[in-house]
Amino acid sequence: MRRILSLPAALAVAFFVLGSSASLQQRTAGPASAKGGVGDITGPYEVPDPKWPEWAHPYPKPGYIWGSQGGVFAESPNRIYLANRGELKLPDRVPNNFPGNWGFFNQQAATQPIANMVNTIVVVDGNGRLIEAWNQWDHLFEWGRGPHQIYISPYDPERHVWVIDDMRHVIFKFTHDGKKLVQTIGVLDEFSDNEDLTRLRRPTMMDWLPDGTFFVADGYGNTRVVKFSRDGKPLMKWGTPGTGPGQFRTPHGIAVGGSPPRVFVSDRGNRRIQVFDVNGTFLDEWPGIAPHSMMMSADEHVWAVDSVTDRIVKFDLTGNVEFSFGQFGTRPGYTWAMHQISADQEGNLYIAEVFGGRTQKYRPKLGANPTHLVRGRTLMPMAGGTR
Amino acid sequence: MTSRRTRTALLLAVVAVIGSGTPSAQGRPNLSGTWKFMTSTPANYPGSNGWGVPSPTIVVTQTATDFTIESGQFGATPMKVVYKLDGSDTIWEGPSSSQSGSTAIVKWRTKASWDGNRLVLYTWNTALNQMRDIMTLSDGRLTIVRATEQPGPSTSATLTYGKGS
Repeated sequence: MRRILSLPAALAVAFFVLGSSASLQQRTAGPASAKGGVGDITGPYEVPDPKWPEWAHPYPKPGYIWGSQGGVFAESPNRIYLANRGELKLPDRVPNNFPGNWGFFNQQAATQPIANMVNTIVVVDGNGRLIEAWNQWDHLFEWGRGPHQIYISPYDPERHVWVIDDMRHVIFKFTHDGKKLVQTIGVLDEFSDNEDLTRLRRPTMMDWLPDGTFFVADGYGNTRVVKFSRDGKPLMKWGTPGTGPGQFRTPHGIAVGGSPPRVFVSDRGNRRIQVFDVNGTFLDEWPGIAPHSMMMSADEHVWAVDSVTDRIVKFDLTGNVEFSFGQFGTRPGYTWAMHQISADQEGNLYIAEVFGGRTQKYRPKLGANPTHLVRGRTLMPMAGGTR
Repeated sequence: MTSRRTRTALLLAVVAVIGSGTPSAQGRPNLSGTWKFMTSTPANYPGSNGWGVPSPTIVVTQTATDFTIESGQFGATPMKVVYKLDGSDTIWEGPSSSQSGSTAIVKWRTKASWDGNRLVLYTWNTALNQMRDIMTLSDGRLTIVRATEQPGPSTSATLTYGKGS
């Protein structure tokens, strides 16, 4: 008989324990190192530049700082999309040792009291220099809490950019250059229940099959997965509230892959990953982890970021843990609520943190075990040439 | 002559039947008054969530164009909130409690529309609070099907109010 701790209770315990750990780190760790703690902090990676990305340091504009970072997607080593959930006004006085990220203030929600929805989608190069700011779309996020996740399907030769807005109940599909909003999945500001295929309620994350079919975890409000055709037509859904097989409490992350293809769903509130075939038939569950996010790697593994322990865990497709690293904290290399991870073709790993209020770039250490590196899926060559 | 009278009567009857099935401003319920909270399902809704807490008393003023609610259900302090019934937005600035428990002046937005005899009210503010209330009147009781959104999971409940003084 397995006893499942309720999510609020689990989070309270986690934050108490991890908060104590953070205090210990601050007493023992150097100002820019990932030392201390009880585990392998950065695994096979190092953080070469704690002030990456350059454009946001010291501040996007005087007196303001990045808030919650919902998502990151590395299209290439020199084109990285960042999804920001608004900028926050700094206190009038900040300590001299302020490192530049909101997590330093230890306030958990990096969206309070008011996040200004500016620079919600930006594109930076490998050095973190600003390439594009899609400010023309900032208004879309004004009455929500900003972009929740950002993606490019590995199977799309046009490389559309997909942005999920959970609190406005929609998914936006933009052209690659951000000039056009070509499709909206769901209905802006409207939501419904598990039975309604046309409206979502707080969608969270998505992933694709090679034929363009995609799956959406839906989400904070509903308790289901919705399957869409490549042109965005809803095909089917599965899931009900509860704790049994095929039931969910906050299905948050989703990853698709394997042969035959399977759908891996982070059932965060039930602290498990559930596995389904592409038509929603329950196949398996992997208990003991409550991922915010998951991604399918090029070597067909599920990488999950645990919301309780702040560890990055590598699973094979049968649920065996092969490797893990990471630890809660606000110093460089540590993380606070990893929300999306992405890896480029040179092996760099990018981690967006919703509570830490930053996106960090991790570079493989010299001689790192290649099986311990997150390998991003290769994107289909872009029609007309890549950027 | 009898036949003409019969046809006229039938025509009037048809018109009356069609007319009664068509929602009209006159046919919609007037929810004005003072309402006292009776029950919620689930009980103790919404737990520790400070947004969307059923107010013990709500005071409703309904006109042909506006719907106004005075209550404490919008956060820490009682507020008077106006909804335009034509579905257009009303935007203003006012205080709101935030997820961290602090109170700040934020932007608010409301809109409303009729769905048959159900009144659908939407409320947003930039402290990341959202609420949808679907109101119906039956047997002298006001039923509110409430859904709220904040960071973290959504909430849903059915609230029942009785007429107060």
